[in-house]
Amino acid sequence: MAFGDDPSVIELAGHLPGLPPDTVERRVLTFGSGAAALRVAVPVLDAEQVERVAATVRAAARGYLKTLPTAHIVAVIDAAIQRLLDREDPWRRKAERLLPVVTGYDPEMVRLGLTGYLKTFRAHELRRFLAEDFANPLVLDEFQPAPKGGFTRAFGPDLLLHVWAGNVPGLPLWSLISGLLVKSGTVGKLPSAEPLFAGWFAQLLAEIDPRLGECLAVVWWKGGDAAAERAWLAQADTVVAYGGNAALAAIRDRVPVTTRFLPYGHKISFALVSRAALDPRRSGETARLAAHDIARYDQQGCYSPQTLFVERGGRLSPQDFAAMLAHELAVQARKHPRRVLSMAEAGEVAGWRDGQAMRGLDGSGHLLLSDPAGGWCVSCIDAPDGLAPTALNRTISVVAVDDLAEVAGRVAPHRAVLQTAGIAAPPEELFRLAGPLGAAGVTRLCALGSMTAPEAGWHHDGRFNLLDLVTVTEIERSAEALAEGLARYAD
Amino acid sequence: MSAIYDRVLAFMEADIGTGAAADEAFNALALAVFAHQFEHNQPYRRFAMQRGRTPRGVKSWRNIPAVPINAFKDLTLSCRPAEESARIFMTSGTTKGGIRGQIHHTTLAVYDRSMLLNFRRRFMAEAGAERMAMGILFPTETAMPNSSLAHYLELARAECGTPDSRHWIGEAGIDIAGLYDRLDAAERSGQPFALLGASYGFVHLMDAMARDGRRFALPEGSRILDTGGFKGQSRELEPDEFYGQLAAFFGVPRERCINMYGMTELSTQFYDDGNAVCPSLKSGPHWIRSRVVDPLSGRDVQAGSMGVLVHHDLAHVNSVAAILTEDAGILEEGGFRLLGRVAGAQAKGCSLAVEDFLAAARG
Repeated sequence: MAFGDDPSVIELAGHLPGLPPDTVERRVLTFGSGAAALRVAVPVLDAEQVERVAATVRAAARGYLKTLPTAHIVAVIDAAIQRLLDREDPWRRKAERLLPVVTGYDPEMVRLGLTGYLKTFRAHELRRFLAEDFANPLVLDEFQPAPKGGFTRAFGPDLLLHVWAGNVPGLPLWSLISGLLVKSGTVGKLPSAEPLFAGWFAQLLAEIDPRLGECLAVVWWKGGDAAAERAWLAQADTVVAYGGNAALAAIRDRVPVTTRFLPYGHKISFALVSRAALDPRRSGETARLAAHDIARYDQQGCYSPQTLFVERGGRLSPQDFAAMLAHELAVQARKHPRRVLSMAEAGEVAGWRDGQAMRGLDGSGHLLLSDPAGGWCVSCIDAPDGLAPTALNRTISVVAVDDLAEVAGRVAPHRAVLQTAGIAAPPEELFRLAGPLGAAGVTRLCALGSMTAPEAGWHHDGRFNLLDLVTVTEIERSAEALAEGLARYAD
Repeated sequence: MSAIYDRVLAFMEADIGTGAAADEAFNALALAVFAHQFEHNQPYRRFAMQRGRTPRGVKSWRNIPAVPINAFKDLTLSCRPAEESARIFMTSGTTKGGIRGQIHHTTLAVYDRSMLLNFRRRFMAEAGAERMAMGILFPTETAMPNSSLAHYLELARAECGTPDSRHWIGEAGIDIAGLYDRLDAAERSGQPFALLGASYGFVHLMDAMARDGRRFALPEGSRILDTGGFKGQSRELEPDEFYGQLAAFFGVPRERCINMYGMTELSTQFYDDGNAVCPSLKSGPHWIRSRVVDPLSGRDVQAGSMGVLVHHDLAHVNSVAAILTEDAGILEEGGFRLLGRVAGAQAKGCSLAVEDFLAAARG
């Protein structure tokens, strides 16, 4: 299929129950260039249409979604996920074809990433998801006996608004599915950097269960458009928002005080490599795992490492490891080339690289390894550096440390922005390090090589992703006792 | 002073013509300057070796390694020990947490010669006189001894200004009332007048004029020279708006509003031939040449493509001749067009970017 100036070839984004398609104004976003360019028409709703969509979703959720047993919702989501895992399915084929154009990521990387990611939403994984947050997931369906006495039931919001951000393909699914599992009427705002996947998922759900399709909408407004944002924020009972701190602060200021606001800010992640992982037998694999985490989505994810702390005293030195890592990044660059950078991004990468190169000129033994074409860059630092952001796009600092136990202290000043620590270390060390890292603000410890693939049911930024959405209603023991006395069969 | 200084000075005075002969002459001197800097400027030598570029292997000025301007913040890039520097110019420190880069000049003889030859040709030539009456919208060199712009403007005033030319910014800021009187007098005299200064200085002055309801119609032949942009010191104006306002407030047509593009990290400036159309075409004298490169590979981009500007300034003898800027541009016949700074990339995903990290670290 060819894209180009043909105005008929345009991808419609979003999902708008309650609105006839021809009444919706659209704005065209263009991705890629030349013959491969893709034009995406995102919906622009007026105030009245916002009300209509919100009312439709709210009513449908009340009348249908909230009456369904959770198991049924799990089954519908699973059916959609199975379709997306099937490489012959038209939706999957479209995703494989268009997401690389929209995001610029290597097509094979997108394909592998999608499969790994979608697998975490299959039925059995969703049940894990539920079990992680609810000791008894049936609490979402009906009143369940509480250990303290009485009964408890959990309710999701009538209208949950998601403000998504970023270009990591499919990322909105996390919160979208979380909302559905707690039976929320759902409205999601597409990220301009990847405005397709969430809408496709909504359309696919509607295909499988048309009534469920009425319970969610996928909309768009230009980031920072205060009027559009206010219109939606006024409709929502709960708001989940992703983005940089400035964007989140702006949204927070517009959220009515009675509305629950759950912000997920940008985060920074890092990895720790024990000397035990640096013997000649293991080090190749260690470097390969690290390179995988660095190359996947060109470090654009909050879980992507920006610094590797590598322990001295192993059979291989941190410098040796940096050299192996450079080799593995070169392999990744051939297998999964980095996406084409904008001038500003390229300038940032070059600036970071050149700045690191300058550090080497004072004779401190600083080692810089980089691709002559600028496709990746490893800066190996012998000084006692802490955690610092790189220029992303496959640029990484390797910081040598005498003992990994020092790392928690070095990252602690950045508590508010910490997320994942990838670890390659023996068991005693893993648990010895975990306490101080957790206390410093790290919320996720995972294997090196798995940093970009959080497991099903993970607690994003250390929060309870489902539990945070619900309110519980309790029937206290007193009500039960009083009721007993009023029964027609009371003695 | 070593022979290389004499060669550079002689080259600046010479008419090297155009075409292949001029290319060859520039190249030969560029290689000689590179050999000098490689030998005497130790950090630059390490930088060049790190890139595998040494005088032995490099045969074209285009392959002489260009130093990123940020390097001046971390390194002393000088061919002579720092304590021998006659003058140290410092950058304004608008980036990288306020750290200022230092540029060492063992002598200002080459800088001054470069400035004057070029300034006379590009700003004074049409005036038809050796000197003209000038008003400087910038602090004096005494007030700002580390500012290369203060030195530049002082040279302009001392060497090309009439005796009554003076600065209009002192410790108390712009002497607005005094300047109004001076501009009134210039208007009445019928003699061309030149206003020179930082772009943001003009914005402050025009804001005051708007407040006071003042406008001037400077005599035919008057000129304006602005430089440096706004640097967060004043309102930011689009070039078209800025030059439109200059023309309206001072009665100087846009084609005689000249923008100078210079950098503390260089010893030679670029000028346009007025700003009737923006962005204007900038060019320099024959001892400076520019390339437009891909920031990552450092290689020249295809003709007509946008990239990052590299300037190769033979007059920058004591420091480093080849400078990699952070300015985006496009090469054209006869010069280049500036397209703003290459900076400010936002993370596309949810990964924390440098700006936010610094903000969070500050609390």
